[in-house]
Amino acid sequence: MSLLQVDKLGVTYPGQLQPALHQVSLSLARDELLVALGPSGCGKSTLLGVLAGFIAPSQGRVLFAGQPVTAPGVERAVVFQHDALLPWLNVHDNVAFGLKLQGADALTRERIVADTLRLVGLADVAGKRTWQLSGGMRQRVGIARALASRSQVLLLDEPFGALDAFTREQMQQLLLRVWQQSQRGVFLITHDIEEALFLATELVLMSPGPGRIVQRLRPTFNQRYRAGEDVRAIKSDPEFIALRESLLHSLFRQGHEEAA
Amino acid sequence: MSTSPTTLIAVPDSLDTATPVAPADRRWQPQAAHWAALSIASLLLLWWALTASGLIAPLFLPPPQAVLAKFGELLNGGYMDATLPQHLLASLQRMLLALLAAVVVGIPLGIVIGVFPLARHLLDPVIEFYRPLPPLAYLPLIVIWFGIGEASKVLLIFLAILAPVLIATAHGVASVSQLRQQAALSLGASRWQLLRHVILPGALPEIITGVRIGLGAGWSTLVAAELIAATRGLGFMIQSAAQFLVTDVVVLGIIVIALVAFALELGLRRLQQRLTPWHGQHH
Ligand SMILES: Nc1ncnc2c1ncn2[C@@H]1O[C@H](COP(=O)(O)OP(=O)(O)O)[C@@H](O)[C@H]1O
Ligand SMILES: [Mg+2]
Repeated sequence: MSLLQVDKLGVTYPGQLQPALHQVSLSLARDELLVALGPSGCGKSTLLGVLAGFIAPSQGRVLFAGQPVTAPGVERAVVFQHDALLPWLNVHDNVAFGLKLQGADALTRERIVADTLRLVGLADVAGKRTWQLSGGMRQRVGIARALASRSQVLLLDEPFGALDAFTREQMQQLLLRVWQQSQRGVFLITHDIEEALFLATELVLMSPGPGRIVQRLRPTFNQRYRAGEDVRAIKSDPEFIALRESLLHSLFRQGHEEAA
Repeated sequence: MSTSPTTLIAVPDSLDTATPVAPADRRWQPQAAHWAALSIASLLLLWWALTASGLIAPLFLPPPQAVLAKFGELLNGGYMDATLPQHLLASLQRMLLALLAAVVVGIPLGIVIGVFPLARHLLDPVIEFYRPLPPLAYLPLIVIWFGIGEASKVLLIFLAILAPVLIATAHGVASVSQLRQQAALSLGASRWQLLRHVILPGALPEIITGVRIGLGAGWSTLVAAELIAATRGLGFMIQSAAQFLVTDVVVLGIIVIALVAFALELGLRRLQQRLTPWHGQHH
């Protein structure tokens, strides 16, 4: 059953001639990890903004559980590249923030927050302020905050884009663990081809001018990782490398068509 | 190895015996406060030298010791029927009353301006009209409209503090990260919760900075405010002394104002550090 359904979505920003998104159709089921891959400016953030309810579609529609999306809602939690965390709260209170806003009772809240902090490996730093943490830790707080809320879908906009390669790889593995255990649908945006291939159960390749989907694939590396294969072994597998190069080639070809 | 006659550079030896480089914090390093003390001490020394050498007559610049003596005299004896503490108290009362009013009016109004563009379009011309005016220019109007009582003096100082508080609050509110607000909305924040839990705390560092700047502006209108039929106050004391060329009282008044203003500024800085410790961190 698909949770999020996007039909022939188009977005044109006021005063722009070219649409930022054109005829984009997608669906995201509860057990899927859908990745949108593309160069910057291809409309990824716009797409996420529409799914989250921050941006109204110009054409087409977005449904969540069959209902049109018209505003932000707790069932669709977002995580941004630069933490949208609250620096005046400590890690625990940041993670509890959504539940507090939603008026959850203290007992439930504490239980969920404690579970979530443990899940993302933040239990030891619960009392720290977010600005005392490293970039990777801050992104964990962002993910934990989105999980602790009553969300059913996580929408992540280049969540690991600002991290160093080593931390990024750790976070990718953490995300797979969280996704598997938390039973949520995940929609993730990235411009990192390896990240997209490694994480996605569904991958859409996007291209700018106007922003649209140009290719869809279903990589299997996510499954292989969950079946116990090592992350480095997967990423250096000839099949992985071949797919990576073919995607890179498509991106470059589109870049040339753009320029032409 | 190092005993070998062919070894020109005895690397292992020099490593063994190398003294570790002392960590920077071990050695005494001058801090900002030391430089400030040096600057003040030099200024005092220059003042003393200029007056002691007779280069400048006491009428134009009294020597430091004369000002100090005047300080002792005014503590109990007083000038113009009030002691120095009484003058100080009168001025402080006006300042704090004006500050309180500016905070109570300026912060909510600044929030409204920051949140609603329409309010900004409407109020911006008003604020930008009066803000650059010298207080002495509109002082006559205030006296005509509100008389020569305490209210007019406080109003003048209030107006000076209000603009920076208002502008800083509006700017702080309007520049709270869009992404942070969107994230809070998707966690279920209502508009009121967004304001209360995201926008206001986010704007707090700038609001406090606005108050600090406002207080400085307030002090700079104190003398103008106390032109209005005052019988007490540091500004009044300085003006009266100036009329009779009692330069040592003038200098003393200036120093007291500077010290009190600086003490308040330090207090506000400490408050800012305590309330918004994330300010200046890169997140
Ligand atoms: N608020 C906006 N107003 C006008 N144009 C915008 C706005 N936001 C994004 N765009 C334009 O829409 C296109 C897609 O942007 P975006 O969705 O941010 O792409 P991506 O996230 O893939 O980098 C870009 O050409 C960008 O300049
Ligand atoms: Mg983007």
